[in-house]
Amino acid sequence: MNKQTKILAGVLIAVVLLSAGVLAWRKLNPEPARIAKISQKGQVLQEIDLTQVKEPYSFVIEGEDGALNTVQVEPGRICISEASCPDQICVHQGWISDGSEPIVCLPNQVIIQITGGGSQVDAAAG
Amino acid sequence: MKGRLCLLLAGLLAAGAVLTGCAGAKSASSESSQVFAMDTVMLLTVYGDQAKEGIDQATQTIQKLEKLWSATDETSEIWTLNHSEGDWVDLSPETEQVLSRSLELCALTGGALDLTAYSAVQAWGFPTGEYRVPGAEELAQVAASIDYTQVELNEQASQARLPENMSLDLGAVAKGRLGEVLSQQLKELGVTSALLELGGNVQTVGAKPDGSKWRVGIQDPASQEGGYLGVVQVADQAVVTSGDYQRYFEQDGQRYCHIMDPDTASPAQSGVDSVTVIGSDGTVCDALSTALFVMGEEKGIQFWKDHPELNFEAIFIAQDGTLAVTAGLADNFTLADGYQNREVTVMER
Repeated sequence: MNKQTKILAGVLIAVVLLSAGVLAWRKLNPEPARIAKISQKGQVLQEIDLTQVKEPYSFVIEGEDGALNTVQVEPGRICISEASCPDQICVHQGWISDGSEPIVCLPNQVIIQITGGGSQVDAAAG
Repeated sequence: MKGRLCLLLAGLLAAGAVLTGCAGAKSASSESSQVFAMDTVMLLTVYGDQAKEGIDQATQTIQKLEKLWSATDETSEIWTLNHSEGDWVDLSPETEQVLSRSLELCALTGGALDLTAYSAVQAWGFPTGEYRVPGAEELAQVAASIDYTQVELNEQASQARLPENMSLDLGAVAKGRLGEVLSQQLKELGVTSALLELGGNVQTVGAKPDGSKWRVGIQDPASQEGGYLGVVQVADQAVVTSGDYQRYFEQDGQRYCHIMDPDTASPAQSGVDSVTVIGSDGTVCDALSTALFVMGEEKGIQFWKDHPELNFEAIFIAQDGTLAVTAGLADNFTLADGYQNREVTVMER
């Protein structure tokens, strides 16, 4: 092997190590994106990356027979602040910020589920 | 020149192999679905080659059992039983099995679990959402109509009957039994890893695909944000919580929860905010989470001491925020961040 070849080989090995390093680093430090997926009757209405939210805002999900759910979004967290359902379970649940437990409004069949970084549990009992 | 080209290609291939290799090893194949049933939402995740088939079968089973066990669907076996005016009613094997198991658990818990407490649930307006606080006279009347020993089950003929003025429901056991049935079916399909979140009841099948235990959060009853105060690690077990924060209404500053004390026909007030039961039998876990909530911490711990054969562990969260954890959980329960200062007592048998 002449000198040039050795240099090239060295560069290539460096490239391989570097790409492996980048992947390992990514694996250890996963992207902190936290996506709140809002669905109604099994259909996804929208997905919000809670880590990209800068200003609080809210919007209303309309359902059949005048069913309403007001969704409140803030940096890193989300909740249902008002709902037309009789039991108000979704409102009582308050803010969620990780994937441990989704917000569910059964009467209106609305679910907010967070996927992505942040959760240290696989499921929640309660 | 040729040598260098070869080297370049080899290098690129190696880099490619590293990249795709990592991506490929990222996750086992899995299927998930959401099912609205039994007054709640069920989130199913099944791992492995049988995932698709497992989800399909599980969804069918959920719908089938809901149709049989609903207290409000006029075509269900439970509704028929409640409206048969004292006559014998034919039962499917599924309903007969769940009734038989639950009546046993009613007896074991000395009636702290009582399937016939449904009339109290109705009197307080929980099934319809038209909440009300019944008067003392009405409550005495309702309490008199709660008695699981009046339920007659003829297992030979697969029939049951109830006295005319009584009604029962499977609310305290249905999701637990469902988890048990689904877990068995998935295993028969060859599934070795699945997570079934049945509206706050968690049923795990095997361990996670990477072999580690599932981490299940236990909700902080006082948290406005649905935060969890501890994590329990389980494999092939059910985790079921009964809490006064789950379903309740407020009137004149007083909170009334959906868990009824069969003795008073009123919301249970035993000094606990929640009870979580962990064990290999989903039906037992579901039934006992209700029964131990009604009993409270002291009697509940005594029940745990007296019944090692039921193979369960429990976490009591008292209204003052302190925790009592049974000995078998000592190694598998940890407090979550922000709750490290909570007082935890480990109960020995």
